[in-house]
Amino acid sequence: MGCEAVKYELVSGFETHIELSTKTKIFCGCTTQFGGDPNTHCCPVCIGLPGTLPVLNREVVRFAIKAGLAVHGKIADIAKMDRKNYCYPDLSKAYQISQLYAPLIIGGYVELSNGRKIRLHHIHIEEDAGKLIHRHGDTYVDYNRGGVPLIEIVSEPDIRSIDEAKEYVERLQQVMRWVGVSDCKMQEGSMRCDVNISVRPEGTEAFGTRTEIKNMNSITNIARAMEYEYDRQVDLIESGGKVVQETLRFDDVTGTTSSMRSKEDAHDYRYFRDPDLVTINVPRDEVEALRAEMPELPADKCRRYIEEYSIPEKDAQLLTKYRRISEYFDEAIDGVKSPKTVSNFIIGQMFRRTETESDKELFAVPTTPAQLNELVKLLDSGKIRNNLAKSTLEKMLDSGKGATDFISESDMGGVDDAALLELCKNAVDSNPKAVEDFKNGKEKAIKALVGNVMKNSRGKADAMAAEAKIKELIG
Amino acid sequence: MGKIAKIHEMLTTGQCSCAELTKSYLKAIESDNGELNAYVCVTGDEAMKTAEAVDKKIAAGETIGLLEGVPMALKDNMSTKGIDTTCCSKILTGYKPIFDATVWELLKEQNAVMLGKTNMDEFAMGSSCENSYFGGAANPVDTNHVAGGSSGGAASAVGGNIAAYGLGSDTGGSIRQPASFCGVVGLKPTYGAVSRYGLIAYASSLDQIGPVTSSVEDAALVFDAISKPDKRDSTCKGSASPTFDKLGSDIKGMKIGIAREYLDGVRDDVKEAVLAAAELYKGMGAEIVYFDLPILKFALPVYYIIACAEASSNLGRYDGIRYGYKTEHYTGTHDMICRTRSEGFGEEVKRRILLGTYVLSAGYYDAYYKKAQDLRGTIIKAFNNAFEQCDVILAPTVPMTAFEKGHATSDPVETYLTDICTVPVNIAGLPGVSVPCGFNQKGMPIGMQLIGKSFDEATILNAAYHYQQAAPDKFKETKWGVKL
Amino acid sequence: MVTREDVENIALLSKLFVPEEELDGLTESMQEIINFADAINNAPAGDEGFDNINNLSNVFREDEVIESYPSEEILKNAPEQAEDHFLVRNRE
Repeated sequence: MGCEAVKYELVSGFETHIELSTKTKIFCGCTTQFGGDPNTHCCPVCIGLPGTLPVLNREVVRFAIKAGLAVHGKIADIAKMDRKNYCYPDLSKAYQISQLYAPLIIGGYVELSNGRKIRLHHIHIEEDAGKLIHRHGDTYVDYNRGGVPLIEIVSEPDIRSIDEAKEYVERLQQVMRWVGVSDCKMQEGSMRCDVNISVRPEGTEAFGTRTEIKNMNSITNIARAMEYEYDRQVDLIESGGKVVQETLRFDDVTGTTSSMRSKEDAHDYRYFRDPDLVTINVPRDEVEALRAEMPELPADKCRRYIEEYSIPEKDAQLLTKYRRISEYFDEAIDGVKSPKTVSNFIIGQMFRRTETESDKELFAVPTTPAQLNELVKLLDSGKIRNNLAKSTLEKMLDSGKGATDFISESDMGGVDDAALLELCKNAVDSNPKAVEDFKNGKEKAIKALVGNVMKNSRGKADAMAAEAKIKELIG
Repeated sequence: MGKIAKIHEMLTTGQCSCAELTKSYLKAIESDNGELNAYVCVTGDEAMKTAEAVDKKIAAGETIGLLEGVPMALKDNMSTKGIDTTCCSKILTGYKPIFDATVWELLKEQNAVMLGKTNMDEFAMGSSCENSYFGGAANPVDTNHVAGGSSGGAASAVGGNIAAYGLGSDTGGSIRQPASFCGVVGLKPTYGAVSRYGLIAYASSLDQIGPVTSSVEDAALVFDAISKPDKRDSTCKGSASPTFDKLGSDIKGMKIGIAREYLDGVRDDVKEAVLAAAELYKGMGAEIVYFDLPILKFALPVYYIIACAEASSNLGRYDGIRYGYKTEHYTGTHDMICRTRSEGFGEEVKRRILLGTYVLSAGYYDAYYKKAQDLRGTIIKAFNNAFEQCDVILAPTVPMTAFEKGHATSDPVETYLTDICTVPVNIAGLPGVSVPCGFNQKGMPIGMQLIGKSFDEATILNAAYHYQQAAPDKFKETKWGVKL
Repeated sequence: MVTREDVENIALLSKLFVPEEELDGLTESMQEIINFADAINNAPAGDEGFDNINNLSNVFREDEVIESYPSEEILKNAPEQAEDHFLVRNRE
């Protein structure tokens, strides 16, 4: 019996920065709009001119509370602002106003599809830094982003695989967009993650030494970086080395991580209460009002779609990925017999026309939910058949017109049950020969009778239903 | 009559035009500032422009406000749009703010005539004004002596009659101490009574702007003008009610408290002067109450820990990138920042930054900063209790009188002791006014301090006013400047 | 006890250079100030707590856009600038 190789478990926790979609910055009235010419979204406060003072944007607190409610966090009664001191050219005051000692949101969790809950330690509000551009060794500084409000969502080290990590980020993205606190655009930097990662032999309790990969701005890169870092740490340990606690950067060209540490930055943030800002005494009535205004959260909605409407889980996930899709669905199913049909139309046909994620998020299809609803009701009543409905929906999506613009009265006429019975009787009565052949065991003879029904209904009747009905009549 | 009222009368009765008055102040600055070194920047053109605007209003028969057309000065740590604002530090050389401090905005609206910016210890850190990058201001009573600090320039300008009044800032005594040294009146308002927006921060939870004047009436008038709520300063509520109207109201039965600790280690001549003032109050029908405030012996270390901690953070932003001084030779951004700061800050500023960094750093935060904050709560409570026994507290402003130039000890701790009577007020956020109350053998002024309850400037100014009326000989004119 | 290493560390955090020859003197002077600050350890344990002077809470501004400054104003005091950016020139 040989030695079995030790398997290593990945342990990871995330610090996720999300820019809030308020109109103005956290401590001054400058716009938070993305982009803009350099240093044009700035004022004395956000470039930290001496003597300027911050005044907290009320909406930042409200948005952060909404974010907290979206992840089941506890809204603190008292919150305070602290200064995190570090000197870097993108930080105009040499401190970032943040929260350490009394953050706004405590606890909470994000539930994954495997049922695991990733616990959150807290969520705090803080200001973003400006942007540095390094060119030919020179450093150019633009403070447009300086002072844009952020929430930092700090998770517990509960993530155990790269898939869980990816889903965790997607879930946060989904729910934060859902409640409208952020657009969570990783490519524009409005959502960024610091990934803490360590490994430990499977089955053991104690955490290994962790490293922190800073500023990850795409889910793909998060996965790549974690994979690389997991392998690196395992190799290191297996070869008798030790993981050093350090901050890493990920190079997306080489796919490797490297240490960010230099002797220039000693890390001691010397947090202390910001004396320029007063206490946030979170008004309970406002919290309750925000709670009452909260939309049904995607996870709850997804569960309901599965349970109430018998939508397959995979489809329910797709319908609840973006709030607009789910709202479209909710409107379109009003009074229909089978919500699943609506779901199939959305996922089958409409998704083909909203290819990108941002198209799906906007879900600006030409057909209104009411129009889709009308179409599905025609199908429900048996007035039209499925393939006609499908082709009609394509035409509706091309034109933005309603179902009745493409389906005439006569198209719908012969297909209901009474009409079908009439057509079948007719076929039987006028084709005694075929009836006779069928009765004598010539199975194929039925086709002639069905063909008659189809001909007389100009192809609108359901052939299967017709065959069944004819068999009933002559059987 | 205070100087402001006098000038108002002169202007409105046509005894002189505002332009003439302003010119005479500017001329006096030209002749006397060389020795007083009260101003580090003179804004003659702007002053004349405002003066002419005021004259036009008067000529047009419009009524003018009390502060309108009155020549005054701002301490160099208050932001003035387009006008050098350096905190008397090399690191802010050439810095011209792109906005006005709220106090200056308020006074500008009233056509205050700003003559210039006054000298100070670098970043308001010091008790002699000798930490100024531009050299210290001289004491107008005897120019061999220091003006005190940090608002030494303001006290020197007002005492030397080259400004009718000045605005100073007080973090640990920086208005009251130089006022005491120069024989003028200095009011440190309640924390939150006056906006700090545009005041270049030393220690944000302690800094307050206040008037330096030659009379109590003037202090009240200026305080009333600048103590407004400000949407740009979250900590500023403005004052409860005007103080000027209450000057002269009866003080019979007023309880004046003396905390014994305030007299510990105070030089005899100072102690005698303060106790004589208490006697005078007694004669006016006030009651003198003695009590103990043992917690005061911790005020000084508490002050230095908190002030330096906040300063270390507030002064991190001077990095040579956005404004001010930048070193010439460097290799890389980090090196540039370190060189800029090392060359741009003076010794005392660097010392306080280092101390502040130390008390906030990992492993020391609890023992120093947090402990000091807790004690701050205890000190506030002790003052609240004291004010259950009295209406105002009477104390010396400084344990001594102005020392000779260059005489300041090189021992930082000994220097810090100068602030022992002034810092408790800042720690507790209370209002305090320093009023001249006598002279030592060499003729140098002695100051006493009246400390009030939060937002009760009216009571201490009224008490100060009664003293001024009863002891006019303690308010002496110097030989300098403009004689009205 | 303030050590040379402490002083070197806090100088680095403070972004200040302390020349080697001044390090001993500064350590000594820091020690002296810290001794003075240590007096607070003799104080009674404070149980009052301290939040902020005047115990203010909930001072907010509304989320309304105020026009930003033109970039020329923002950059007006910059020791060096280029292409509407603040600039740290590191080239020789």
